[in-house]
Amino acid sequence: MGDGRVGGGTNRPAWLQQYELVGKIGEGTYGLVFLARLKQSHPHAAAGVGRRGSPIAIKKFKQSKEGDGVSPTAIREIMLLREINHENVVKLVNVHINHADMSLYLAFDYAEHDLYEIIRHHREKLNLPINPYTVKSLLWQLLNGLNYLHSNWIIHRDLKPSNILVMGEGEEHGIIKIADFGLARIYQAPLKPLSDNGVVVTIWYRAPELLLGAKHYTSAVDMWAVGCIFAELLTLKPLFQGVEAKATPNPFQLDQLDKIFKVLGHPTVEKWPTLANLPCWQNDQQHIQGHKYENTGLHNIVHLPQKSPAFDLLSKMLEYDPRKRITAAQALEHDALLPSQAGEKIVQYPVRPVDTTTDFEGTTSLQPTQAPSGNAAPGNQSVVPRPIPRQMQQPMVGMSRMGGTNMAAFGAAPQGGIAGMNPGNIPMQRGAGAQSHPHQLRRKADQGMGMQNPGYPTQQKRRF
Amino acid sequence: MAANFWTSSHCEGSKQLLDQEDVDKVPQADSDRGITPEEFRLVKIHMSFLLQIKANHLMISDIWRLAQQVKVRQRVIATAVTYFRRVYTRKSMTEYDPRLVAPTCLYLASKVEESTVQARLLVFYIKKMCASDEKYRFEIKDILEMEMKLLEALDYYLVVYHPYRPLLQCFDFRLLQDAGITDLTQFAWGIVNDTYKMDLILIHPPYMIALACIYIASVLKDKDITLWFEELRVDMNIVKNISMEILDFYDTYKIDPQRGLPEDKIAPVMNKLPSKA
Repeated sequence: MGDGRVGGGTNRPAWLQQYELVGKIGEGTYGLVFLARLKQSHPHAAAGVGRRGSPIAIKKFKQSKEGDGVSPTAIREIMLLREINHENVVKLVNVHINHADMSLYLAFDYAEHDLYEIIRHHREKLNLPINPYTVKSLLWQLLNGLNYLHSNWIIHRDLKPSNILVMGEGEEHGIIKIADFGLARIYQAPLKPLSDNGVVVTIWYRAPELLLGAKHYTSAVDMWAVGCIFAELLTLKPLFQGVEAKATPNPFQLDQLDKIFKVLGHPTVEKWPTLANLPCWQNDQQHIQGHKYENTGLHNIVHLPQKSPAFDLLSKMLEYDPRKRITAAQALEHDALLPSQAGEKIVQYPVRPVDTTTDFEGTTSLQPTQAPSGNAAPGNQSVVPRPIPRQMQQPMVGMSRMGGTNMAAFGAAPQGGIAGMNPGNIPMQRGAGAQSHPHQLRRKADQGMGMQNPGYPTQQKRRF
Repeated sequence: MAANFWTSSHCEGSKQLLDQEDVDKVPQADSDRGITPEEFRLVKIHMSFLLQIKANHLMISDIWRLAQQVKVRQRVIATAVTYFRRVYTRKSMTEYDPRLVAPTCLYLASKVEESTVQARLLVFYIKKMCASDEKYRFEIKDILEMEMKLLEALDYYLVVYHPYRPLLQCFDFRLLQDAGITDLTQFAWGIVNDTYKMDLILIHPPYMIALACIYIASVLKDKDITLWFEELRVDMNIVKNISMEILDFYDTYKIDPQRGLPEDKIAPVMNKLPSKA
């Protein structure tokens, strides 16, 4: 991986020269994210990791607070991503260090879209729901990646639409990549209770057991988040939009619980026996236990018939009791995810806005390299959309991967270690679904097939 | 993968398991300073010992309350020692001062194992424990700079497996009926700890090391578990070879469990290393 030597004469590390910076595409508490392109003749081109000109997202970690060295977030990401290899998980292509300012850079394959932007585009620009076929495909891929993580004892702990990336034009067009492992961890043999890490998961996607202060939790917290994301894909609105009570060490979040209970009804000890042991259930009795909630009905919100397989799957993801909540492996087998007729509609998603005035140091001193274009995002002149609009042919989004390709991925995925110790103690039938899938496609045949081809002749041969 | 040794970077992918010759090879910069293979090994033994002993002190006294079980500390330390040994299959001691690398490995391992030790505390304890030795005077800044260099030297592979889990699993599953079991477990556990004074973790899969330790324990405690080993269907030649290596090591170095290598043995080697600039 990276070479931290400082390049000749300048203060810039040598590795920086293999990238051509395009601009800044994101910012978070951890640091900045840049879009760059690999220049010619760099070591990875030789290794086949990236090709010349291929876009790379570079995540720069800020030097964490004085005297703490490399942030635990960065350590977790490096440690886990260095071990992980799955089609539906973001690929770490390189790590770099700039010893001069002690900053750390992670280089990933660039993904043009994410579920946050896709949902927003449908809500604000198109005013149209995402077609059910696409929802199904996105959900299946998300579960496929998550099943891989869970069967390897990794909990993501921060699933939300903006962390679910979708590849743009190219070989992997439409493929989902689970990203941001800054909160993820291995839970096989924790040295300390997981709750020692403080609160995890953005509040809207946070499972009820976390909101009630569970000390020990499982991969089921990720499945709750998937349920919330599933509902959001259907309605284009976050399912439980609670207001976060900040600046409290207490995990108890009354407003968020309130939003959940209003839709799903009041949890009961009969249906969720371990509820009685959760700290906040006991301590905040008057707040939660006293209140009576009408069950408004999830089906009314997501507009699904109560008898439909999709509704059944969603309600199993939003099961209160984490032990009864459906696992990723089980969900992949669910009737709602059986292959179906592809939709025909093509939706064009906007590319990520790039701030071309920011350099790797994060300073905004560069002049814009291109003239601001007419369709630049309002309020930011320097946002230059790439000129050619891409078409993301929705029906193809990953659904084609349900056949042989994923079967191979399943077979290759190392399975959970010790028998009978899977999260939730529910027998997993890994890979069975993929194997029994009637449409087993060879990888070559389905790779990128029809993705950039609005006529998609090949697709019509397939019988979904 | 991160939770399965067979597909992890420790076993596969990055060729983390090495041959003995690769592990024993003295880096050019070190042999230029007149450091022999034996001396190279001595430094590693010495620093592993320091890490195990001092880290135990450090952690018992301050970081973890005593209630925390022994396993906690052992895994962090074992990971730290493994990092330490991996670094010197690629870097020289001349360039990477073992006196700084060792505590930094502990620092990094504590983060990886989600039991972070603050750099500030680490520096405080090194100063306290090695007050007499000028060469151990490091500041927080040194640790943090070295942390980055270590990440690079380790090629960012941070997940490490240890013999402790397979050891416990063996006892859990197969020997439970045996009455003298706790005796044997603890004895074998102690031997596993000692294997970190050698490079075994860089060469053999952790479960084979665990089996070798069980084998030694059973022989020394006069318990016949030949049948049990037969059922395992592992290559007993490898298990026996590892066992012989461990016994040879005990024989050769006769390390005092409290004090480590005698000063007159280690001091001349340490003096060959450049002191901090």
